[in-house]
Amino acid sequence: MDKKWISFTFIAIIVGFMLALQFNTLQEPTVRDTRDTWQLREDLEKEKEMQVNLLREIRSQEEILSQYESEREQSKELALRETLEELKKEAGLSDIEGFGILLTIEPVYEELLMGNKVTTVSPELLKRLLNELNMYDALYVSIGGQRVINTTVIRDINGETKINGFSLNDFPIEIKVIAENRQVAEKLYNRMQVSKSAEEFFIDNLRVKISKPESMITIPAYEDSIRIRDMEPVEADKGGNS
Amino acid sequence: MWLPVLGLIIGVFFGLMADIRIPAEYSNYLSIAVLAALDTLFGGIRAQLQNIYDEKVFVSGFFFNIILAASLAFLGVHLGVDLYLAAVFAFGVRLFQNIAVIRRILLTKWSVPREKTEKN
Repeated sequence: MDKKWISFTFIAIIVGFMLALQFNTLQEPTVRDTRDTWQLREDLEKEKEMQVNLLREIRSQEEILSQYESEREQSKELALRETLEELKKEAGLSDIEGFGILLTIEPVYEELLMGNKVTTVSPELLKRLLNELNMYDALYVSIGGQRVINTTVIRDINGETKINGFSLNDFPIEIKVIAENRQVAEKLYNRMQVSKSAEEFFIDNLRVKISKPESMITIPAYEDSIRIRDMEPVEADKGGNS
Repeated sequence: MWLPVLGLIIGVFFGLMADIRIPAEYSNYLSIAVLAALDTLFGGIRAQLQNIYDEKVFVSGFFFNIILAASLAFLGVHLGVDLYLAAVFAFGVRLFQNIAVIRRILLTKWSVPREKTEKN
């Protein structure tokens, strides 16, 4: 009987031992690193791939960043360009289209029949007309295809009236005027209809014809470059200098 | 009577203390061997309860079964057929049968004295 139990116990010990071993074996692989060289290589490769991916991502992000930067720079440039355009427009260095009226100065037909030839229009009359136009809210004016800007001179040179150095002796002379919008153009037209200076042209045997306000009148740009000799930019005050 | 249980506990204790690990590719064999050993153990218990216990049969059956199961698994691996499943099936069925028989014997053992006491 004893012998029986001893063998039974012996077997039980072996079974318990095997169970424990199996338990150990199944538990361990999660803890133990059993990777061989090739598996390690593979893992390393995976990690490197990840690194490459991360680097690529960083690069793309940097690209986006630089793109944004350049966009900002460009927008600054754009704003400057816009300002430049606006200033050019104001100064008269670009063509302008808009609502306005067309004045035509032509010799009085009857006088031509009488044999009096009109060769020129006096600069004083033109200046007076210009002043009147400006008084009535004319924004942009051109006389005989020459843009009138702030520094435009109309004067008599050797008996010829010249504007910006160009002679005004080809009749009829066209004066294009652009106003701010249709209403202003209408007002300008109405005022010019009863204008005094227009009547004064008649004394010089000239007649001023005023066309109805048109939607699209194009005024050419000032042809020369504007030379500024006696002006210089104001230096910005530094802190404390008031 | 409690000696085998003590032996089992001692075995488990030593197994855990030994800190031996079977390589992953051999854990299959060990698992099938454990199954065979359990089967033999329960078979022994059953034989003991049925009073037909033979030590030689028990010990030889224990080792023979383990070796057979392991070699079946080995053959299965090399043939590309999961032969160890056959061993698992056979030992599993026998394990259940043995445990069922043990249960019935124990039930009758427990219920018979109770009937006797009720009669008295």
